[in-house]
Amino acid sequence: MAGSQLKRLKASLKDQGIIGPQKSKKQKRQTAQDAKASTDKRLQRHEALASIREQFNPFQFKTNARGPKFEVTTNKPQNDKLAKGIQGRPGLAKATAEQRRKETLLVEMQRRNKVGGIVDRRFGEDDPNMTLEDKMMERFAREQMKSHKKNTVFDLEGSDDESAPVTLTHAGKTLFDDDDIEAGRDDFDENISDMESDDERSARKKFLKRLRAEEEAAEGEGEDGQPERKKTKKEVMEEVIAKSKAFKYERQAAKDEDEDLRVELDKELPQLQSLLFQMKPKEAKESKGPATVAGIDLEQLEKEYNMRLKQAAREARAEVTDRTKTEEERAEEGVKRLKEMEEKRLRRMRGEVVSDDEEEEEQKKGKKKGDDQEAQDEAEEDEFGLGKGIKLRMTATEMGLDDEDDFLLEDDLIASGSELDMDDDDMSDIDGSDDEDAYDPDEDELVNGGEDGESEEVATKLHAQSKGGDEDGIPYTFPCPESHEQLLEILGGLPVVKLPVAVQRIRALYHPKLNEKNKERLGNFTQALIEHITYLGDKFEPTWFPAIENLIRHVHSLAKTFFAIEVSKAYRARLEEIKEERPLALTVGDLVLLTAIGTTYPTSDHFHQVVTPAMLSITRYLGQKIPQTLADYSIGVYLSILALQYQSFSKRYVPEFINFCLNTLCSLAVEKPKEKLGLFPVHEPAAGIRIKGASKVTVRKLNCGDCQQPKNAPSASEESAQKVAIISTITSVLKTASETWCKLPAFYETFQPAQRVLQHLTSKSNAAQLPAALVKQLKDTTTNISRLLQLAQVSRRPLELHHHKPLAIKTYVPKFEDSFDPNKHYDPDRERAEMAKLRAEHKKERKGALRELRKDAAFMQRENLKVKKANDEAYEKKYKRLVAEIQGSEGQASNEYAREKAARLKKNKTGNKW
Amino acid sequence: MPSTVKDKTVKSVAKRKRSENGEPIKKRKKLEAGEEKEDLAAQIQKLESQINESKKHYNNIATLIEYAEKQDEDPKTAIAAAEALCRVFVRLLASGSLVKKKDASEKDATVAKWLRDRLTDHHKALVAMFKSTKLATRALVLAMALLKAEAPYLEGKDEAVFPWPLFNAIISALLTSPVEEVRDEFCDKFIDEYDDLRFYAFEGIKDFLTERQSVDQELQNTVFDFLLKMEHVPESSEDLEDFYIEQPSKKKHPLRSLSQHKKRAQEAWLALFNLGLSKEQRKKVLDVMASSIAPWFIKPELLMDFLTDCYNTGGSISLLALSGVFYLIQERNLDYPSFYQKLYSLLDTDILHSKYRSRFFRLLDTFLGSSHLPAVLVASFIKRLARLALNAPPSAIVVIVPWFYNLFKKHPLTTFMMHRVPRTKEEKDLIETEGVLDPFLPDEQDPMETHAIDSCLWEIVQLQSHYHPNVATIAKIISEQFTKQFYNLEDFLDHSYGSLIDAEMLKEVKKAPVIEFMIPKHIFTKADAGTEQTDSPLVSLWDFGSS
Repeated sequence: MAGSQLKRLKASLKDQGIIGPQKSKKQKRQTAQDAKASTDKRLQRHEALASIREQFNPFQFKTNARGPKFEVTTNKPQNDKLAKGIQGRPGLAKATAEQRRKETLLVEMQRRNKVGGIVDRRFGEDDPNMTLEDKMMERFAREQMKSHKKNTVFDLEGSDDESAPVTLTHAGKTLFDDDDIEAGRDDFDENISDMESDDERSARKKFLKRLRAEEEAAEGEGEDGQPERKKTKKEVMEEVIAKSKAFKYERQAAKDEDEDLRVELDKELPQLQSLLFQMKPKEAKESKGPATVAGIDLEQLEKEYNMRLKQAAREARAEVTDRTKTEEERAEEGVKRLKEMEEKRLRRMRGEVVSDDEEEEEQKKGKKKGDDQEAQDEAEEDEFGLGKGIKLRMTATEMGLDDEDDFLLEDDLIASGSELDMDDDDMSDIDGSDDEDAYDPDEDELVNGGEDGESEEVATKLHAQSKGGDEDGIPYTFPCPESHEQLLEILGGLPVVKLPVAVQRIRALYHPKLNEKNKERLGNFTQALIEHITYLGDKFEPTWFPAIENLIRHVHSLAKTFFAIEVSKAYRARLEEIKEERPLALTVGDLVLLTAIGTTYPTSDHFHQVVTPAMLSITRYLGQKIPQTLADYSIGVYLSILALQYQSFSKRYVPEFINFCLNTLCSLAVEKPKEKLGLFPVHEPAAGIRIKGASKVTVRKLNCGDCQQPKNAPSASEESAQKVAIISTITSVLKTASETWCKLPAFYETFQPAQRVLQHLTSKSNAAQLPAALVKQLKDTTTNISRLLQLAQVSRRPLELHHHKPLAIKTYVPKFEDSFDPNKHYDPDRERAEMAKLRAEHKKERKGALRELRKDAAFMQRENLKVKKANDEAYEKKYKRLVAEIQGSEGQASNEYAREKAARLKKNKTGNKW
Repeated sequence: MPSTVKDKTVKSVAKRKRSENGEPIKKRKKLEAGEEKEDLAAQIQKLESQINESKKHYNNIATLIEYAEKQDEDPKTAIAAAEALCRVFVRLLASGSLVKKKDASEKDATVAKWLRDRLTDHHKALVAMFKSTKLATRALVLAMALLKAEAPYLEGKDEAVFPWPLFNAIISALLTSPVEEVRDEFCDKFIDEYDDLRFYAFEGIKDFLTERQSVDQELQNTVFDFLLKMEHVPESSEDLEDFYIEQPSKKKHPLRSLSQHKKRAQEAWLALFNLGLSKEQRKKVLDVMASSIAPWFIKPELLMDFLTDCYNTGGSISLLALSGVFYLIQERNLDYPSFYQKLYSLLDTDILHSKYRSRFFRLLDTFLGSSHLPAVLVASFIKRLARLALNAPPSAIVVIVPWFYNLFKKHPLTTFMMHRVPRTKEEKDLIETEGVLDPFLPDEQDPMETHAIDSCLWEIVQLQSHYHPNVATIAKIISEQFTKQFYNLEDFLDHSYGSLIDAEMLKEVKKAPVIEFMIPKHIFTKADAGTEQTDSPLVSLWDFGSS
C-alpha cells in the first residue's frame, strides 16, 4: 500500500471498522440496545487495534529472518509473520525488564545509604498486580473479619443475633421472603402442597419460568439504568452458582413432598387391604351360612385363616428351586467338590498361592507353567498323588452317603462347600440338625424331638428341661466354660467317656446364632477344650481314647465353622508351651495334641501355620533327644509314626525319622554293630537297653502306657516285651516309609542303611535272642526294602536340572531409536544422564544470571548518569542564572555610571557655559 | 614347729624372753575367752613395740611366729601376729639387720642368721595361711608386702634381688590352695598390675610344674585356669613399665624385654602341655587357643606338635584344632601332609549334628575358598556333604545348600553333578535299561579318588521335598538358574530347631489357616470292620486300647 504512514493507518482503521462514516441517531440506539453485540464489538475493536499497533511496528518481533527451515503443512492461517515464526518480542521484553528494575533496583538504589523511613504495611500496597479496587475490597473485607467475632462467614449458628445472617440470595434478593419465613413455610410449599402430583411438574415449570422472567426483567432494568456497567466474570459465575443451588433446593423440596404423600398413602393401605380381603370371607360366610364349619367356630377359623394368610404373605416368595437331585447326582457333585478340594490341596502342597475360589481359578488359568522340570513334577504328582487320593476319599464319601446319621458326611460336604466364610444360612444348616444328631446316635430322642433341627428350638427345649439330667445323669444345660479352669470345674464331675455329650450340648446351647456373645464364648470354650485334650492325654486311661477322639472331632468341626483362628491359636499356644518347657520331654498329652493337629489340618501343605511348627516339634524330639529309657524310645516311635502319617500324602522326606528309627534299632539290637552301618548318628544306648534273651516273648503293639516312666520297676519280661514291641513297630514303620518314599531320587542312599541295620538285626547272633515272629517280620521287611532298593536303582536317572533358557547378556550397544532427536540425550546410564541434565540447567541458569547482572549494571549506570545529568543541568542552570544576575546588576551599574557621567558632563558643560 | 631353735645362745635368749613373758601366759589361762583375745591383741602389740625398741627383745619374734602358726585354732590372733611380724621384718630388713656384713662380729652374724631363719619360718606360716578361706587374702597381701621389702634389702646388694624362695613358696601355695579367691585376687591385684610379677609368675609356674613328676587332674585344671587368667599380653617392650619391685637399671635386663616375657609364658604353657592333658582339657585349651594362648607364643611352631596331635585325634578335638593348624600352615609354613584328606575325613556322621557345626563351616568355607583347588576334590566334598545331609537336621541343610551354590559358581566343572546329559545313544540306552549306579565311593579316604565328580546330587534333589518348607525352598536353588553371584553363608549359619520353631511362632495368625475338609471318622479307634476304610498308620501300629 502506498502512501504515508498516517494514510496507511487511517486506511487500516477504516478497514477494521473502527472508524467509519458517522452513524445516524437511530443506528446508534440500535447498537446500544443490542447489548451483547456491543460487548462483542468492543472486544473486537480492542483486538483490531492491537493488531494494527503490531502491524505498524516492524521491530516488535524477533523473527526467523530466513523463514522456516522446513515446509510445514498446518491448519493455521499462514500469514507472513507466522510463517516466519515469532521467536520473541524484544521490545516488550525490554520494557518489562526495565519496568521491573525500576520497581525493584531503582527503589533500592534510591534507598541506599538512607536510614529509617516508614514501611507501608497496608494490604496490597506493594502488590502491583492488584487494582486499586481490589485492594480496597480486600482491605474492607479484612476489616470486617477482624471486627467479626466468629471469623467465619459460614458460621450459620449464633450469627443471627449479632449481625445479619448469611442468607441465600439471588440477584441480590433473598430467596425466601420474610413473610414466608414467618409463616413457617417457603414459597415452594405454597405452590406445590395443594396440587395434585400430576400437576406438580407443570406448576413448577411455570414457577421457574416466572422466576426467570423476573430475573431477566431485573437484568434489563439494570442495564438500562447503567448501561456502561458490564458484569464481571466473577459476578456472572456467582449468579450461575446461586441459580443452580436454588434449582437443586427446589428439586429436593419436590422430592420430600412426594415422599410425604407416599407415606400418607401407605398409612391408608391397611384399610384398603382389609377392604379387599373382607370381601371374600364375607361371601364364604354367606354361602356357607352356619356359624360353624366342621364343628369349629367360624370366627376362629377366620382368624386362623387370616393368620395363615399373613404368614404366607410374610414368607419369602417361593423361588424356583433346582430339581431335587438323585442319589447319583448328589454323589457326583460330592465327588466333583472333593476333586476341587483335592486340586486345591495339591496346589498348596506345591507351595503355590491358593486364594479363594474364582480369583484362584483365574490365577490358575493365567498361571505360567514354570520350567520343564516343574511341569514334569506336576505331571508326576498328578499321576501318583491325585488319582490315589481321590479314590481313597471317594470311598469314604460313598460310605458317608449310605449312612445319613454320619458325622462325617453332612458336616463335611456342606461345610467344605461353603468354605470358612459361608453365610449364616449355610451355618444353620450344618450345625443345626445335622451336626447334632450326627454326634451321638445314642442321644437321638433329644435331637429328634427338635423336628427339623432348628437349633433354636433345640436350645429352647434344652432350656425347658433345664437342670434335669438324662438317664446318664448328664445335665442338659451347662454354663459355657471359657477357660480350662472353668471347664474342669464345670465338666470335671462328668465321666470322661460322657464328655462328648456335654460338649455337644454346650455347642448347641451356645450356638453363635442364638446370641451375639455366644461366638466369643464358644471361641473361648474351643480353646479351653484344646487345653483339655492335652490334659486328658496326660492323665489318659485306655478307655478314654474314643472320647478324646470325639473331642478332637468336635474341635475340628468347630474350627471349620467359626473358630478357625481361635483353634489354630490354641494349638500354637500348646506348641509354644512344648517348645519352651519340654522340647525333649514330651508327654502323652503332647502326643495326643500332635495327633489332633495332624488330623485337623492338611499336613500336606507346603507351609501351614500350625502344621509346620508341629512337624518341627516332632522332628526336634526325633533329632535331638538322646533316648535314655524305654519310655523315651516309645515316645520316639509314636512320633515317627506320626511324622510318617503327616507326610503320607505329600511324601515329604523327614531325615530325623530315618535317624531315629535306625538309631533305635541299633541301640536295641542284641549286639553293637561291628562296623558303621550308615551315616545316621548313633548314640550309645544306656545300660540295660539292649535286648537280651527275648526269644520267648510274644510280639505286642506299643501303647501309651509305654510312653510313661513306669512307677515301679517293670519286670525283665515286661521290659523285653516292650523292646520287642519297639523293634516290631519300627520295622513296620520303616516298611511303610520305604513304600511312601520309594519315588524319592535318593531313595537308595536313604534306605540302604536301613537295609543294613535290618540285616544286622537278623544276623545269627542277634536273631537267636529275638522271638521268631519278629525275626520273620524283620526278614520280610528286609526283602521288601531290598526289592525297592533294586527298583530305585534301576529307575534312577542322571540329574538334568538345568535345561534353562540361557540368560541374555546385558548390553550397552546403542539402541536404534525410531524417532531419533539429536537434541535429546539417549544416555543409557541413568545417573550420568541426570547429571548431564543438571549441568546443562546450571549452565543455562548461570548465563541467565550473568546477563541479568550485566543488565542491572547497565541500568544502574544509566540511572546514575541520569541523576548526574540532572544534577549537572541544575548546576548549569543555577550558574547561568547567577551569571546572568550578576551581569544584569553589573550592566545596571554601568548604565548608572554612564548616566551619571553623562549627567556630570552635561553639568560641567552647562557650568562652563555658565 | 617353725621355731626349732638350734642355736644355743638363741635358745637361752629365747628362754629368758619366755620367762619374762611368762606372766601373760599365766594370765591367759585365767582369763575368759573374750578378754583373752583382747589381751592377746594387746600382747602382740606389746611384743612388736618391744622388738622395735631394742635388739634384746628379738626373741619376741619367735613368740609371734608361734602365734602366727596357730591359725587353725585362733585365726584372728594368727593374722594379727603375722601382720605384726611383717611390720617387724620390714623394719629389720630396711635397717639391714638381716644382712651379714663382712666386718660384723661373730655375734652379729649369728643374730642375722637367726633372724633369717625366723624369716623363713614366717614365710612358712604365711604361706600356710593360704589354705584357709578366711585368712588367705590377707595373708597374700602380707606376703606380697614382705616380698617387696625383701627384694632390695635381703641380699644387701645395691640392686634389688628378686626373693625367689618366698615367691616360689607363694606360687606353689597359691596353686595348691583350695581357695579360688586368692588366685583371683593375686591375678587382679598383682599379676595384671605389675609386669615383673607376671614375668616371675610364669617362671615360677614353670618351675613348679617341672619339679613335680606327676601332677593330678585337679592341680592341672587349677594351673590351666590360673594361666588363662594371665591374659593381658603387652604390646611392646615400652609397655613394660609397671614394676612391683624396683625397676632394673640395666636396659638389657630380661625384665624389660617383651620377648623374654613371652618366652617365660611360652615355657609355662609348654610345661603344662607336657604334662599330658585329658580330652576335656584339650578341648578347653583348643577353645581358647586363638584368644588367650597363641598371643603368648613367640614361636607358635612349638604348638605344632600339640595341634597336629589333636588334629589327628579325630572327632570334635580335630574340629577345634583345625583353626590352629590352619593358622600354622598359612602363617608359619607348617607342612601338613594331606591336609585336605584329613579335612575330608572330618566330614563324618557327627559333623552336621555337632555344636561346632557353624565354626567348622566357617573354616571349611575358607579352606575351600580357593578357586585353584581341583574340581575333583571340591566335588568329593560336595558329594560327601550331600550324603550327610540326608541324615542332617534342617539347620545344617540350610547351610550346606547355599555353600554348594557358591562352590558351583567357583568351580563350574562341578556343575556336572547337577546336570549330566548322556552323550551317546548307547549310554542313553544303557541308562534306560539298567538305571544308574552311583559312581561315588563313600568309603574312599582320598578325596581325589572318590569319583564324586561323575556322580549326581540326588540327595539335594530329595531334600527339595523336605518336610520343612524353607529347607525345601533353599534346596531348590540348585535347580534354578544361577543368577545370584553368591550366597552369604553368615545368613544361614547358626540356626537350630529352636530358632526355626521360633521363626514359625513369631508369625501371627491373621488369616484363618486352611482346615482339613474332611473330619476323619477315626483317629484313635479302629475303623469299623467291613468298611473299605483303611486305618491310619497310627491306628494300625499303636494300641490305644490298653496301657
